[in-house]
Amino acid sequence: MAANWFSAPAPVARRVRVYFAAVNRATQTPVLFDPAEQGAFNLDAPPAPWIDLGWIQGFARKPGSKTSPVLTGIPACTLEQVRETLEAQVSFEFLSWTKLTMALATGSQHMNLLAAASGATASADGGQATAAVTPQSGSTAGFLALAATDAATFAPGSIIALDLDYTGQTGFVGAPVAGAYVRQALADVDYIRRVTFNVGLVSQVSSTGLTLAGPLPGGAPAAGAKLQALTGFVDREGGSFYQEWSALFVMQGSQGERIFFYYPRLQAMTGAEEEAVPLDDNHEGGQMRVLLKGQFLALPISDPLDGEHVLCYRSFLPASMALV
Amino acid sequence: MQNAKDSFYMALRTRLATINPERTVLLRGAVRPGILVEEAEAPFSPPPSDVFILRWLSLGVDLDLGSALTVAECEIAYQTCGTQSFGGLDRGRSLTGMDEELVAMLQPFNTPKLNYTATPPAAMLTRVFWGEPGFVPVITQRDRLSRSVKVMVYSYQEQGE
Repeated sequence: MAANWFSAPAPVARRVRVYFAAVNRATQTPVLFDPAEQGAFNLDAPPAPWIDLGWIQGFARKPGSKTSPVLTGIPACTLEQVRETLEAQVSFEFLSWTKLTMALATGSQHMNLLAAASGATASADGGQATAAVTPQSGSTAGFLALAATDAATFAPGSIIALDLDYTGQTGFVGAPVAGAYVRQALADVDYIRRVTFNVGLVSQVSSTGLTLAGPLPGGAPAAGAKLQALTGFVDREGGSFYQEWSALFVMQGSQGERIFFYYPRLQAMTGAEEEAVPLDDNHEGGQMRVLLKGQFLALPISDPLDGEHVLCYRSFLPASMALV
Repeated sequence: MQNAKDSFYMALRTRLATINPERTVLLRGAVRPGILVEEAEAPFSPPPSDVFILRWLSLGVDLDLGSALTVAECEIAYQTCGTQSFGGLDRGRSLTGMDEELVAMLQPFNTPKLNYTATPPAAMLTRVFWGEPGFVPVITQRDRLSRSVKVMVYSYQEQGE
């Protein structure tokens, strides 16, 4: 059986899509992406645990690795090259503001502004919060069973954070994503819920509990987890914590080909930064779209195939019947 | 390029039948989705209302690639007077409805290229793809609102084309 083929020119792509997954900070394990097995995935339904963060713009990769010549002879000439340093950066702008995109685009902890208790002392990152409530058995990632009196304290449109009470532990805290590193014990029982990524939007309230608009990133509530309402998010210029994520960038070509850029470990390398882009090029002083700007430094992993240190994998899945 | 033009039209026509099955046109005794190619029909004046009319304009070819890239400019024109039941007072809403249908028809921005001279149509190797639509301001003529949209349609020339 024979088939025709065609000579494919350089890929033509309209935009770049990005997916992130949390690195397990306790075990220092990045999330793996195997383009051979997973490369054909539906862009709207990435394989777990990758989280779809939508389309981005201004995607730019900047290799920073340096090579040095090994010189020999008189006059000296280059005999070989050695790789002196290994560095790569990637930058882009998110087209949405969400908990995750804000967190990724900032350089340090990203916190939830827990709804303040009545008469709470003002604080730049949220003061004393309303008391947390405990989900009951039967809760799932998309439905939080509550006592009727607890459910009545929420309304459709509420945003909630769900995680454990802080009990004085140190180290990485927050599930399913480490939201902070606690160096010394704190006094705030709500601290983990302030930094957790396990947040969701309430779409419906009944006397039996809360239905969420989408499943919680952490799945069904863990034993001991509690929830609190939050009013928004806050991050700070400063702090010592670096978030770390695995990232996957996808360019879908016009002929069905795909280019993947897989960064096993990325850390934000700048503080929070925004870019204001005019909605109408003819009225630059008019309405502006405020984009979250992210700039990241790639950190290396040791490739188990041959032990080489690697910052990024670029994969290409050609179009069907394209000459290779 | 003819295969690309045919494939683009058929993709939009198929998508329109799903997006709004009620938008139809009676042509040569047959009821079809409400989209047609001007150069493939008998001349008409004035153009029919509430129907998308595809008109092929400029053409360009990039020969410096492994496969030549052709680009054709397609103008999609449509007009409406609204509905009789509302005395035409809904013509703005009708035009907005057609704007939305066109945006939906153009997504995704590619479709397989087929050779429609064969029966059944033969699948080719490449895909036809196009850019963002460029909407032209509405033109008002008495009770008639009309608009056109320009789309650049690209395709790679295959062996035998």
